[in-house]
Amino acid sequence: MTTKITPWSRRRFLAGSALTLAAPAALTSTRAYAANPVIKVGHVSPRTGPLAGFAEADDYVLEAINQAFAAGLENNGKTYTVEIISKDSQSNPNRAAEVAADLILGDEVDLIVAASTPDTVNPVSDQAEINEVPCITTDCPWQPYFFGRNGVPGEGFENTYHFFWGLEDVIGAFLDMWGKSGVAKNIGGLFPNDADGNAWGDAELGLPKPLAAAGYNLVDPGRFQPLSDDFSNQIAAFKSAGCEIVTGNMIPPDFATFWAQSAQQGFTPKVVTIGKALLFPSVIEALGTRGDGLTSEVWWSPNHPFSSSLTGATSKDLADGYTAASGRPWTQPIGFKHALFEVVADVIKRAEDLDDPAAIVSAIASTDLDTITGNVNWANGPINNVTKTPLVAGQWQREGDVLDLKIVANAAAATIPITGDLKLLS
Amino acid sequence: MNLSNLHVTRTSRAAKAAAVVGALILIVLIAAPWWAGRADMRLMGELFLYLALASLWNLMAGYAGLVSVGQQAYVGFGGYMLFALTIFGGIYPLGAIALAGVLGALVAVPVALLIFRLRGAYFAIGTWVIAEVFRLSFAQVSALGGGSGSSLPVGIVKSLAASRSGREHLSYWLALGSTVIVIAAVYLLLRSRNGLALTAIRDNELAAGSLGIDIWRTKFVVYVVTAALTTMIGALIFLQKLRISPDAAFSVNDWTAFVIFIVVIGGIGTIEGPIIGTLIFFVLRETLADLGTIYLLVLGVVAIVIMLKAPNGIWGLIRGRFDIELFPLSFRVKTTHPSKKG
Repeated sequence: MTTKITPWSRRRFLAGSALTLAAPAALTSTRAYAANPVIKVGHVSPRTGPLAGFAEADDYVLEAINQAFAAGLENNGKTYTVEIISKDSQSNPNRAAEVAADLILGDEVDLIVAASTPDTVNPVSDQAEINEVPCITTDCPWQPYFFGRNGVPGEGFENTYHFFWGLEDVIGAFLDMWGKSGVAKNIGGLFPNDADGNAWGDAELGLPKPLAAAGYNLVDPGRFQPLSDDFSNQIAAFKSAGCEIVTGNMIPPDFATFWAQSAQQGFTPKVVTIGKALLFPSVIEALGTRGDGLTSEVWWSPNHPFSSSLTGATSKDLADGYTAASGRPWTQPIGFKHALFEVVADVIKRAEDLDDPAAIVSAIASTDLDTITGNVNWANGPINNVTKTPLVAGQWQREGDVLDLKIVANAAAATIPITGDLKLLS
Repeated sequence: MNLSNLHVTRTSRAAKAAAVVGALILIVLIAAPWWAGRADMRLMGELFLYLALASLWNLMAGYAGLVSVGQQAYVGFGGYMLFALTIFGGIYPLGAIALAGVLGALVAVPVALLIFRLRGAYFAIGTWVIAEVFRLSFAQVSALGGGSGSSLPVGIVKSLAASRSGREHLSYWLALGSTVIVIAAVYLLLRSRNGLALTAIRDNELAAGSLGIDIWRTKFVVYVVTAALTTMIGALIFLQKLRISPDAAFSVNDWTAFVIFIVVIGGIGTIEGPIIGTLIFFVLRETLADLGTIYLLVLGVVAIVIMLKAPNGIWGLIRGRFDIELFPLSFRVKTTHPSKKG
C-alpha cells in the first residue's frame, strides 16, 4: 500500500515542461510496481480554501486507512495493492473538475471518490460519469447531488453513486427538535443563492412544504447572495413576524454576520438551527458566548453506536484518536471520510472483475455494509444511485471550558442515544 | 553609405526560422492524438485555452491599453450560452460555440459604450463590476440552476462524437484550433492598418490622437472582437468542465488573475509573451499545485520578482538582449546587399 501525494512526480513534471518542445520522449516514463497488481483509487477533497474544515482530518483518516490496506486487499483469491492518490480541489469547482480529469486520464484510477459539499462532489461525479469511471461520493445532501446534476428520477446515473442523508431527514430531525422546544411556530428562513440554499428553500423539494404541513409559519425573505454583509431586511422581517425559531443553511461567515447583527438589532429568537454553518467547533468557538445553545444537524458523532468494518474502531475510538493525534476537537466529516474508504474496500473485495469498470459499478450498486456512519446499501435508496445514513439533531452546549455537541432529538434514528436536553436561547 | 542600399522590412532571419519551427511544432501538435496519452492531450488542451485567453487579454491590455479585470464576464457568458443553447435550443455544441461568439460580441457593444466612459483605474474597476453584474444575473436564472449551477447532460456531450476517444480528439483539436485562430487573428490585426494605430496608441495615446487616429473607434473594435473570441473560448472551457455555476464561470481568479499573471510574466505588449507565460504557468501549476497554499505563494513571488527584475516580462528581457522578434511586427532598416561593413 502506498499513498501518493507527491507533488514532484517526475512523470507530471516532464509532461508539463515537455510541452515546450512537444517532445514525445517525456511520455515514456513509467512507474515500477511490486508484484501484486495495483488498484488505484483517486480521492478529491477541498484541502485548502473556504471548505478546508471539511478536509482537516484527511491525513488522520487516510493514515488509518493505509494501515488497514497495508497487507493489500483480496479479490477472487488474488491480493491487490491499493494505491490512494489524493488531490486538492482548492474549494473551487473548476479545480475539482480539473483534478478529477487528471486522476481519471493521467493516473488512470480504477475508482474515484470525493467528499464535502456539492462544489466538490458534483464536478467530480460529472467527470466520472462522462469518462465511465466508477465513482463513490458522500458528505453532500442528496438533493443538490441528484437534481443539481440534472438527474432524472428513475434513470439516475450510470457510474456515480452517493451516500448521505437528504433534506427530508433534516426537516424531520429539525421538526422533532422544535416540537420539543414548545416555542411559537413562527420560523424565519435564511437561504442563500447557492447549491445548498436553493435546495433547502425550494418550494417543492425543500423546507417550505413540510413545515407548512407541520403547522409552522415560514417567513422566507428570499435568496440572498453568499457573503452578504447586511441582514437587516431579514432581521426586520423576522422581528415583525414574531419569529422564535430561525433556520436555514449558511456558510459560517454569513451566519456570524447575521448573528452579530441580530444582537445589535435586538432580535432574540429562542431556537437557532442552521445547517452547514454550525458543524465545526472552531466556528462555534469564534462566536464566543453567543455560540452556546445554537443547534444544527448531526450526521455523525462519537456517540453514534457504529463501528468501522475495516479497523473495528468505534465512533468514539475514531474521534478520540483524531483529538489525540492533532490536539483538535473531533468533527463530523471524520466519520464519513472513513466510511467512504470502508465502502471502497468492500467494493474492491467483492467486485467480480477488477479490470472491468462495469463490474466495479455493479459491486457498488450491490453494497450492503455496516459502516461507522451506519448501513450503506444502495438497494434502500430514496432515488437511483443514492442511499441514506441516519441523521439526528444536536445542540452546542458549554460545559466549563469545553463546547460539546449534545444530541437532543433522535426520532428518526432511535439507535443513536440522546445525550442532552434542548435548552432555549432566551 | 548610399541610401538606396537601405530598405525597410519587417522580416528577419530569426522570424523566418521561427515561422518554420512554429509550423513544424503545429504539425506535431495536430498529430498529438497519435503520440500523446489522454491525460497529456487534456492538459495541452487546457494550456491552449489559457494561451488563447492570455493572447486576447494581451491584445486588449498590451496594445489597446484597455486594462480589463473583468474578462471573466465573457468566459462565464460563453459557458452559460453553451449550456443554454444546447440544453434549451437543442443546438449542436459546435454551432452553439460559434453562436455564443456572436452573442458575446452583441453583449459587448452596450457594455463598451458604458465602460468606455471610464478611464484608467476606473475602467479596470468598471469591467470588474460588469463581470459581477453578469455573475449575479446568471445566479438568478433558475432554469440554468441559479446559484447552484448545472451539469451538461451526458447526451449533449455524447452528441459531439460517439466514442470516448473521438470526443477527446475533437475537444483537443478544438482547443488547438481556437488558439491558432486567436493568435493568427491577433497577428494579422496587428499587421493591418488598425494594428499600426494600436501600436501607436500603445506607445503614446496623445501623440496617436494628434496623428489623426480615431482612438475610441480603434479601442471599441478591439474590445468587441476580444469579447467575441473570449466568449467562444469560455464556451469551449465549459464544454470540457461539464459543469457550470456562477462562481466557477465568473471566477476572477481562474479567468482573469491567472491570465494577467501569464501575460505579465511572459511580456505584455508582445505576441510571444503570452506563449512563454502560459508555459511557465503550467510548469508551475503541474509541479506545485498539490502543495496547497504554498503554490499560490510561489505564484505571487514569481510575479513580484519578474515585475521588479524584468518589468517587460521574460520575452521583454530576451528581446532587449538579443533584439529578436519571432512574430515580425516592427519595421527594421536593412541594407539591400548585406556588406561586411554593415
